[in-house]
Amino acid sequence: MPLDTSSYSLALLRVDGRRWNELRRINAQIRTQAAADGSSYLEMGHTKVMCVVTGPSEPFGPARVGRTGAGAGATAGASGGEAGVVVSIVVAGFSSVDRKRRGRGDKRIQELQSTISSALAASLHTHLFPHSTISISLHVLSQDGSLLAALINAATLACVDAGIPMTDYVAACTAGSTSTYAANDESADPLLDLNHQEEQELPGLTVATLGDSDRVAVLVCESRVQVSRLEGMLAVGVDGCKQVRAILDRVVRDKGRKMVQEGTVQKGVGLEDMEVD
Amino acid sequence: MPITIIAPKPAQQRYAAPQDSPDASDSEEGDDLSEGGADLEGDISMGHRPAKKARTDGKYEIVTPGEVITDDPQWMRGHGTYVSPAATSIISSVAGTVTRTNKLLSVRPLRARYTPEVGDLVVGRIVEVQAKRWRVDVGSTQLASLPLSAINLPGGILRRRTDTDELQIRTFFAEGDLLVAEVQQLYQDGGAVLHTRSLKYGKLRNGIFVAVSGMGGGGGVVRSRRQVWTLDAANGGGQIDIVLGVNGYVWISKHVEPVLAEDQKTTPTTAGPITNAPTTTGITNLEESVSATMYSSQNDRIEVETMREIARLRGVITALVENGLRVDEDMVMKGYHEAVEMALTYGEGGQDDVYLGGERGEQLAAVLRGR
Amino acid sequence: MPREAEPSLNEKQFVIQALQSNLRLDGRKFDQYRPLEVSFGEQYGVVEVKLGKTRILAKASAEVTVPYVDRPLDGIFTIATELSPMASPAFEVNRPTETEVLLSRLLEKTVRRSGALDTESLCLVAGQKCWHVRVDVHILSHDGDLIDAACFATVASLRHFRKPDTSIENGVLTVYTPAEREPVPLGWLHSPFCVTWSFYGDEGEIAVLDATWLEEAVRVGSCTISLNRHGEICQIAKLGGTPVEALSLLQCTSIALVRVKEFSALLDKKLAEDAKRRDRGGLLAELSAENDR
Repeated sequence: MPLDTSSYSLALLRVDGRRWNELRRINAQIRTQAAADGSSYLEMGHTKVMCVVTGPSEPFGPARVGRTGAGAGATAGASGGEAGVVVSIVVAGFSSVDRKRRGRGDKRIQELQSTISSALAASLHTHLFPHSTISISLHVLSQDGSLLAALINAATLACVDAGIPMTDYVAACTAGSTSTYAANDESADPLLDLNHQEEQELPGLTVATLGDSDRVAVLVCESRVQVSRLEGMLAVGVDGCKQVRAILDRVVRDKGRKMVQEGTVQKGVGLEDMEVD
Repeated sequence: MPITIIAPKPAQQRYAAPQDSPDASDSEEGDDLSEGGADLEGDISMGHRPAKKARTDGKYEIVTPGEVITDDPQWMRGHGTYVSPAATSIISSVAGTVTRTNKLLSVRPLRARYTPEVGDLVVGRIVEVQAKRWRVDVGSTQLASLPLSAINLPGGILRRRTDTDELQIRTFFAEGDLLVAEVQQLYQDGGAVLHTRSLKYGKLRNGIFVAVSGMGGGGGVVRSRRQVWTLDAANGGGQIDIVLGVNGYVWISKHVEPVLAEDQKTTPTTAGPITNAPTTTGITNLEESVSATMYSSQNDRIEVETMREIARLRGVITALVENGLRVDEDMVMKGYHEAVEMALTYGEGGQDDVYLGGERGEQLAAVLRGR
Repeated sequence: MPREAEPSLNEKQFVIQALQSNLRLDGRKFDQYRPLEVSFGEQYGVVEVKLGKTRILAKASAEVTVPYVDRPLDGIFTIATELSPMASPAFEVNRPTETEVLLSRLLEKTVRRSGALDTESLCLVAGQKCWHVRVDVHILSHDGDLIDAACFATVASLRHFRKPDTSIENGVLTVYTPAEREPVPLGWLHSPFCVTWSFYGDEGEIAVLDATWLEEAVRVGSCTISLNRHGEICQIAKLGGTPVEALSLLQCTSIALVRVKEFSALLDKKLAEDAKRRDRGGLLAELSAENDR
């Protein structure tokens, strides 16, 4: 079904009623799996993903033999000096409208795995864990656009939950542009956080930044777009990443506060106390 | 290591009335004192009292990755922090609470894997047997290693290791065996070396294993005065040993009277709770008994009553963890007595019920908090 | 699985220090490519591309098949990449490494998904017969920057390729041999090229084009930008690695556009030269040979 982009210019509202700079509702939880080292559940609109982190731990037994092969996941920097980050993604058959079985060898999935692995490996302090492996397992429960962004956000949250030291959050979101590439429309507005329908019809890109900085860890654009529109889309995307980071941070803080309140973790020293002596 | 167990009473007040400011501030001080003890920094709680008072408004100091803790160059960075290459500010790398030891700032993560420290009592599982050492899973980021030279060899407690021992390394510990050991030293990269050179340590049998979170952060087993003790179980369960590994691995087993009571003669330091019941065995058959029982993987006969009480203890520990309470001797014992009483009220037709999941676990935790 | 030997620690350090003092080991500027050599084979659609010591052979071919059920009006277009142990011991046959997967995904996105080839023109009889155009990309030697070279080779071979002419009369499809009718070029819409930046330094502040194998081994991140000479982005892929300032990525894109225009001009020139060469010898000579007999 072609997306009716003509209505946008009239009301400046998108198909789902958002304005150009609005994110969809993001709902996230951490520590959803008691048995795992770290876990998270993230919804960006109707895109829903779960993440479980195991490790850092030293692989042993048959797992060690299996890991050296390309296997199911993607590895980054698995040399002896630092921990390897192995990502595996499972896309549930019921996650999209048409039920499609994706094999393990699907190149798109492998590309996603290697992207997430290398994006997180750059932020995580892997040099603290020699000989170990951090394995991140992602499950896609529902897809409605911005899949890579949701996967990166969920993986970041789970790594924070697992207590793995990192430079900063890696937060991601998508950005797009109204009207297709063919229309050489200079007045096209940039859009934030595309849903599936928009992703199909409009040019878009996925951006992930490190923390509050403008530094881009992941930039993936898979559609044709005028080079002049890149700047606008990138700016909106980077700004969206900052909003996403703030949301993820709030999730972690709320959980931490609750744990301190319950007495599960000991209370810390206040920041304002630093200047006391 | 001086350790203070958090007084349970103020902790309860914090639960019951968090908005009640005078009570809450009292409890925070109590908490702070005990925390200071655990971190060897008793002096700090004094300096902080005024500031603590100031934030009784339910502000809990959590830092998250990427958050600048301080710009002041006088501080040194500890675990859970990093310094950005451009500036001198100390930035948190994990989500957790800030702690300080003199000038050292570190962040204790909300949850993390166990990080070994010298002297920790750990429960581990052999995952690999190498030529002269075992690799042991202790729930840390790396496997710990147990060298052949760091165990008590059969046939005399302090004899030299021989080539024959190397050849029959699997007869001492094989893959899948559980053991209790102490962290002897740490490698530069954080890997631990264990030893079992005491009769307190060694292979485990006659019981069950529970894995909870350990000393990495986020509750679970905490370092305390006694990690190993024996209790008299209710309902005719006999005596039961509990080993709380600092790494969060717990071992609950039937207490077996040690045959080696006179080991005090050879190793006077091993007056541990397991070996404190003196029996009389001649020095002559000591060697045989050591080799016979020390590395046996065979379980003794365990009565059903004992099994039931072991299961109940396991239930208590899981309930404590699920409800975010710390696991130490005090809490386990209180929880156990409470569980026994609860079983009396729940038991139908004289049936003793050891189930402690779900609502009952919450109920148990509520009672423990209420003390 | 044999692994490629990593460069030694001090070698790595040397390369990085040299880059930090604005020097590349082969004396090139940061945004300069190695000389790109293109040679066409005797057959249509066979191209060998040399970029320094990196050598890539691409061959396009076409056959008549049945179209996919869900796309009856489109022809089929596939790109197959082959990284054999010949290029590096790390590559194994039938077991794609990460490099190979990423390379084939990039080619797929750059050439196929951007609609460079008009697949509708490959349709012969709707729902029954269509052309299946296939490009096989073989990596003969690997000395860095596989992606840019492979993309250039793919585009060059497709533009060089001529498919046999066909006609349909009363529902009968006739495929003519080159002797009967001159083969026809593919329906080509635009020529996308990849430009790969490699990043160095703690914050990825040093950006280098056309990294050699050694430079690739020590880089902290990379970004492949695909453009055509009309200034349309076909694909951007910065798949993880050390984060880089957004502004410098925009700069990289504008430099990439300049390089792409150069590539485009180079390919046009080479194709024109080849066409000239063929025209003089090619068909006339063949016809005269027939007359002799």
